[in-house]
Amino acid sequence: MGEQKVITTTCKSCHGGCGVRVTVEDDAIVHIEGNPDTLTRGTMCSKGLSSIQHIDNPYRLKYPIKQVGKKGEGKWERISWDEALDTIEEKIKTAQKEFGPESLAVSQGTGRGYNRYIHRFARSAGTANVISPGYVCHSPRLGLYGLVTGYGRLYCDYHGWGGEFPKTQIMWAKQLEISSADSEMCNWFIQSLDYCKNLIIIDPRATAYSTRASLWLQPRPGSDCALAMGMMNVIFNEELWDKEFVDDWTFGFDELKERCAPFTPEKTEEITWVPKEKIIEAARMFAIDTPGCIQVGSSLERQANCGHTLRAITNLMGLCGNIEAPGSMVSWVLPDTGLIEDFFLELPITDEMRSKIIGIDKYKMGAARTCNPDTMVKAILSGDAPIKVWLSVGGQQIVHMANTNEVVAAIEKVDFMVHVDLFMGPMAEAADIVLPAAHWLELNDVYDMHPRFMIEAHNKVIDPPGEAQSDAWIFNEIGKRIAPEHWFDSEEEMLDYQVRKGMDGKMKWKDFSERLVSGCWGDDQVYYKYKTDYWRKGGGFPTPTGKFEFYSKHLESLGYDPLPVFREPGESPYRTPELYKEYPLVTSSGCRYPFYFLAQYRNIPWLRSFMEYPITQINPVDAEKYGIEDGDWIWIESPRGRIRQRARVYPGMKEGVIMTTGNWFYPEEPAKGYHGVYISNPNVLTSNNHLDPMYGSPDLTCFLTKVYKCKPEELTEDVFNTDEFGFVSAAGSDVEIRKR
Amino acid sequence: MKWGMVIDLAKCMRCHGCVAACRIEHFLPFSIAWVKLIAYEVEDKNVVDVTTYAVRCNQCKEAPCIDVCPTEATHRRDDGIVDINSDLCIGCRYCVIACPYQNRTFLSKDKLVNYFPNHAKTRFEKMREKKYPHQIGTTEKCNFCAERIDEGLPKGLKPGQDRAATPACVNTCQARALTFGDLDDPNSEVSKLIVERKATQLHADYGTDPSVYYVDGKIGGKSNIAPEDARTGSHIKEFSSVEKRAKEIFSQSK
Repeated sequence: MGEQKVITTTCKSCHGGCGVRVTVEDDAIVHIEGNPDTLTRGTMCSKGLSSIQHIDNPYRLKYPIKQVGKKGEGKWERISWDEALDTIEEKIKTAQKEFGPESLAVSQGTGRGYNRYIHRFARSAGTANVISPGYVCHSPRLGLYGLVTGYGRLYCDYHGWGGEFPKTQIMWAKQLEISSADSEMCNWFIQSLDYCKNLIIIDPRATAYSTRASLWLQPRPGSDCALAMGMMNVIFNEELWDKEFVDDWTFGFDELKERCAPFTPEKTEEITWVPKEKIIEAARMFAIDTPGCIQVGSSLERQANCGHTLRAITNLMGLCGNIEAPGSMVSWVLPDTGLIEDFFLELPITDEMRSKIIGIDKYKMGAARTCNPDTMVKAILSGDAPIKVWLSVGGQQIVHMANTNEVVAAIEKVDFMVHVDLFMGPMAEAADIVLPAAHWLELNDVYDMHPRFMIEAHNKVIDPPGEAQSDAWIFNEIGKRIAPEHWFDSEEEMLDYQVRKGMDGKMKWKDFSERLVSGCWGDDQVYYKYKTDYWRKGGGFPTPTGKFEFYSKHLESLGYDPLPVFREPGESPYRTPELYKEYPLVTSSGCRYPFYFLAQYRNIPWLRSFMEYPITQINPVDAEKYGIEDGDWIWIESPRGRIRQRARVYPGMKEGVIMTTGNWFYPEEPAKGYHGVYISNPNVLTSNNHLDPMYGSPDLTCFLTKVYKCKPEELTEDVFNTDEFGFVSAAGSDVEIRKR
Repeated sequence: MKWGMVIDLAKCMRCHGCVAACRIEHFLPFSIAWVKLIAYEVEDKNVVDVTTYAVRCNQCKEAPCIDVCPTEATHRRDDGIVDINSDLCIGCRYCVIACPYQNRTFLSKDKLVNYFPNHAKTRFEKMREKKYPHQIGTTEKCNFCAERIDEGLPKGLKPGQDRAATPACVNTCQARALTFGDLDDPNSEVSKLIVERKATQLHADYGTDPSVYYVDGKIGGKSNIAPEDARTGSHIKEFSSVEKRAKEIFSQSK
């Protein structure tokens, strides 16, 4: 038996956060399992466990490479790190000199612990043109929670630290149990269900939990703001609001009441397609059985009315006093290591940088610290964008942004693009230089979880393949070349710096790495912070009025409506009735599968074996109407184009609505065509013309389509080479969907 | 002592964590799965029923696979686990046919493909030979992680309570839908769940008396008062550290 060692670390297969124990023997990982001495109590999902198939994966990027053909042609040549970094330095410096610092754009995928490096790098290089997916995921919620309560990071209290769990829970456009993004929160949520009186699921399709919940509301995608206002209407009419909280701690009650007055249960039913009895029952439950919390999903943020939707939902929380009470929505006290964002917040965005943000004139909330990606695409296409160099890390903008055709055309126009990734994919194929990144099992870093009451350590378990490097190392190296005054001699020094506030200012990375976690929980957490000096001397919320603001003066000063407004999606049965006649299905791409994380993992054999092809769920009534049978390949068409997915005829799907699988590309398909990004990705269908006025978010989860069956001859066009990855041979482990 | 498992259908959310944990624990060849998920989404009359049955060897108390095995390779251990002695298995596959639950797999040569066909074995796959060899030409199935139980019991560990002696799938389940323990002990968690929640067995009509039970139910209807250990966060208490500024403010206001 060889030498064995056990290394504790933190998973980052989604946003991450689950504690992990890895056993290494003779330089090979022989075991991965959860670490019981953490907040996730030793549990792990299939994504985290399948990390083992990232190790020695023949498709991993091992060396820096440069494109030697045309973009998207897939012709590459290996280069050295020196050549790669020299070229990147030269291109950035030339662009900065000739076109100004704003000509550099930096993009990222969803938050994977590299956010702070990206923002710090951009700011140190004098640009705030950061292309972040935040505007369709999490930023609107943080911004609106922030506007209303003064503090953006408001999270459901699933912990019981204050003596109570949430009595009433609302899962709104979210399956926290599988949403594939917040594994650590999934864990706590499911545990909290053991102490839950009412579970309300708001989702257009049935899930395992919706069929067992206290109440299930099936709204039309894109109508959620109206639903929240309708629920508030019930609460006003029946005088169910939390009188003490509202009287003492809120601002704008009367105005909100008046604004919600037209949203009678009847009217709300008409808009949302939810029976009025259910709207009334949900409102009563949430208002009477307190404490309660609302977990919102990013599907709401992938809609062009997201600002007001989130605002209405936040107001609903406040109206029922579900703020800062144990078992409600709480903003957590930070651990001794402080706020992890300080790493980039300490470099402020100057007025000069801010004035050059693409989209800032229009999207004052979403484009205040990052650019508006859809505006950027349009500006590149029209030749108005200053972007000359694009440094992209991890994310697949080609996959997740609206209107794939325009996104690809824009990206192909950028003079010089660098992409950092584990594997080749659509964004890598569009780049001039691709840098190989290390997997979370191969790096040291600080993991920052969403609710911010703890940070954890990613401890390196095994060497990365070839010359792959951690994101932290890559940014530090590029940073040193572009703005040396803001970067560090070594990666370890940079890690030391990020945890330096811990242990009364004595903490080093090594200490943190051993300790594994720095957090604040149990009876050390504090509730009702607005009743203390925490935010404001003498008590109150950190808002301009010191109150929870139903009515936002700040929004008013920016030129927005200070109260929630329901607006129909850009394309909807009521806004565009003519279009609806031709495209009669309200379409979403919001659902998630537990073994994929956004665009990731279609190339991990164990995970792909669970779901080989993308699925569109359709109600049997609609299926019959359009001649579709379960398992058929179907075309889904919008005015922008058409894609194909496999139909699942599913009575759990709301009639008149279909649910496509989002973020799908085929890693096994050739580079040309960007790995099959046009075949099944719903964003081929979405529009980037109608955006949220505050955040600039497009309608990715509420648009109109029509569906029809693929002809047999159309299916022979492209043959998927899934055998290459062994997917087909794994059929024995596939999920079988059966009828009873 | 008879080991058994209770699976809560109301909690399982189809994450496939159990499948992956099993593959790691037993270094399973790519085409073999000891745990499978069978997903139901509809009943006959188009009634919605989203339920996932995680199925594995039921460790039947009346096991047809034992009856048909000509070499006694498949046998019952004293603790109820139906185990296979690969050295005795002649690959006749009678058991594969006899198992009414289709929970046995014959490991033929073509099933032992690499994770990445046309590429070299990964280090993890190479370690399979050393750590958990699989014999081509024999039949395989879930063994309730008997290795963990056998290693844990002499150390005084309790299967179902102590991780080191508990099946890997039970440990990894985020939904905590799986409970493992001694069916002979009326006070074990599994025995209590079976009684209190009126557990069912898969196809009890087959007369096989499985040791894997299923429970289901509604979510909600519970008291929301937190027990003491949740309140203090006791198992992670030692890591807690409040930010200095907050500590000062709260010490004043308390």
